[in-house]
Amino acid sequence: MSKQTVKKFFIAVLIWLPIQYGIVGIIGFYHSEPWPAFVFPGFKNVYVYEGGFEIAQTRFEVFTVDSEEPMILQPRELFPEIPLSQVPGFMRTHFSDSAGIESFTPQTVRWLERQAALMAGGELVSMDVVSLMEFYSIADLGAVRDSVKELQRTTISFASR
Amino acid sequence: MKHSEKRFDHWIFKSFTVTADGLGLLRIFTSLFILFFLIPGQGSSHFVFLSEMPDDFFAPPPGPMMLLHGFPAYAVFQILHTVLLFSLAGMLAGYYTKLASVIAGISILLLQGLIFSIGKVNHEILIAVVPIVMAFSNWGAAFSVDSTRKGFSHEVHSWPLSLLALLIGFMMFTAGFPKILGGWLDPATQAAQGHMFNQFFVRERDALLAAWFVNFDNIVFWELLDWATVLFEVGFMVAVLSGKWFKWFLCLAVLFHFSTMMMLNIAFLPNFLVYAVFLNWTEIYDSNLRLYRRITGKKGEKSKKRSVWVLSGVLLILFSFLSYVSSKELYLTGSDLMLHEVVVVSVAFLIVFILASLTLSQVISRFDIIKPGSSQESPK
Repeated sequence: MSKQTVKKFFIAVLIWLPIQYGIVGIIGFYHSEPWPAFVFPGFKNVYVYEGGFEIAQTRFEVFTVDSEEPMILQPRELFPEIPLSQVPGFMRTHFSDSAGIESFTPQTVRWLERQAALMAGGELVSMDVVSLMEFYSIADLGAVRDSVKELQRTTISFASR
Repeated sequence: MKHSEKRFDHWIFKSFTVTADGLGLLRIFTSLFILFFLIPGQGSSHFVFLSEMPDDFFAPPPGPMMLLHGFPAYAVFQILHTVLLFSLAGMLAGYYTKLASVIAGISILLLQGLIFSIGKVNHEILIAVVPIVMAFSNWGAAFSVDSTRKGFSHEVHSWPLSLLALLIGFMMFTAGFPKILGGWLDPATQAAQGHMFNQFFVRERDALLAAWFVNFDNIVFWELLDWATVLFEVGFMVAVLSGKWFKWFLCLAVLFHFSTMMMLNIAFLPNFLVYAVFLNWTEIYDSNLRLYRRITGKKGEKSKKRSVWVLSGVLLILFSFLSYVSSKELYLTGSDLMLHEVVVVSVAFLIVFILASLTLSQVISRFDIIKPGSSQESPK
């Protein structure tokens, strides 16, 4: 490449970078973060409340024929092949609202049943997707979980198929 | 030529110095580093998992992946993976280096695109960008099959390094700017501490020093960390203007990632691939050659290539050993932090620490602060 071409390329990049950042911001606000893009994660959220902090969690409760008590699975246990860095995003995208979960196709429900069976074993009846808000307070010995609030519970039935 | 145009030219073409030998060594290091540590995905079982995922879970990020309507068959992952391995091998050997580097970068992008289509994007684009951009430096000019061809140009270019510096600086800025808007600089809140809790309790990132920091409740420390993080990330954009400043910021970046790894268990290994580009590879090549000649006693022209082959062999053995031990998950079980990430980031930290100490001692001796014999003279 000639020097002139390289210079023109640099000028184009210098113009493009802020434009793409703007586009990432706009699309990210209305949809989700575009890819590929030249951005790093902002981690702009500030997790703080009076005297402590709150954290949103999602867990799965698997009910089997053999037991009345559900087996509680964390997302990383139900989806062990998903890298931990992607698990919260995956959960947010697919398991954050009841309507989305209830609209899963039979193929998806069967796949989830297979995943749950790998961990729970036995004959599965259903699986609840439970969204929780955990509240932690700062004590002398560190952070202490002082309460948990259930925000949403959606049941995926395996038996009715 | 106007003064501003001259400065612009200087910034693009003269900010960094490269040689064919240095770039050749960098190419070998980069190829091996990607091969052993940065291939997208976590092996074939990860690709099988993705290919069997139902379409309900196919949530591509806005962009080219939206052209697909579901995860492709396992064979597609295998093909992409194979193309990537062959192109990296080409890059390593310097066989059609430019083409191999670009294909490697594109393969990485495609694999990343599919992996990120589960609804979460990771910010690892630099793994693909490094081979694509460096392809234009002519990093196949030495220690390569290409360099043995008749009529092959041995001219090398440094502007790809300036481009990478610009991209890093801008991307760091995009990490820092939202923090200002999000309230990181508000003295009433300690954002870094909040993230620490979030990573520790929600993502169960509790390895290394995480447990200690989670219990370290010092507002001044956490607030200073908030400010230091924002200033460092935003300041990177300014540092791009000078090659020297930029290298100082890279040193800070290594310290930043090391502390992030110790506290939050986030290693961000892809960044180290691009930081390594800015090491003085010519000096590394020269030092290695001197060492080789001292050990073997051979001083001929052939010793230049042989010294590089030996170093490449050592890297190959080290990387394969580290990769093997890391894959066994004997250490850091239950953590998404891998042993090789801890080792690489810690080694980078050590290198920066040693370089900073040497620079500091040079500065001190230059200003003649240490006067030999002064302690004996002082009683008089």
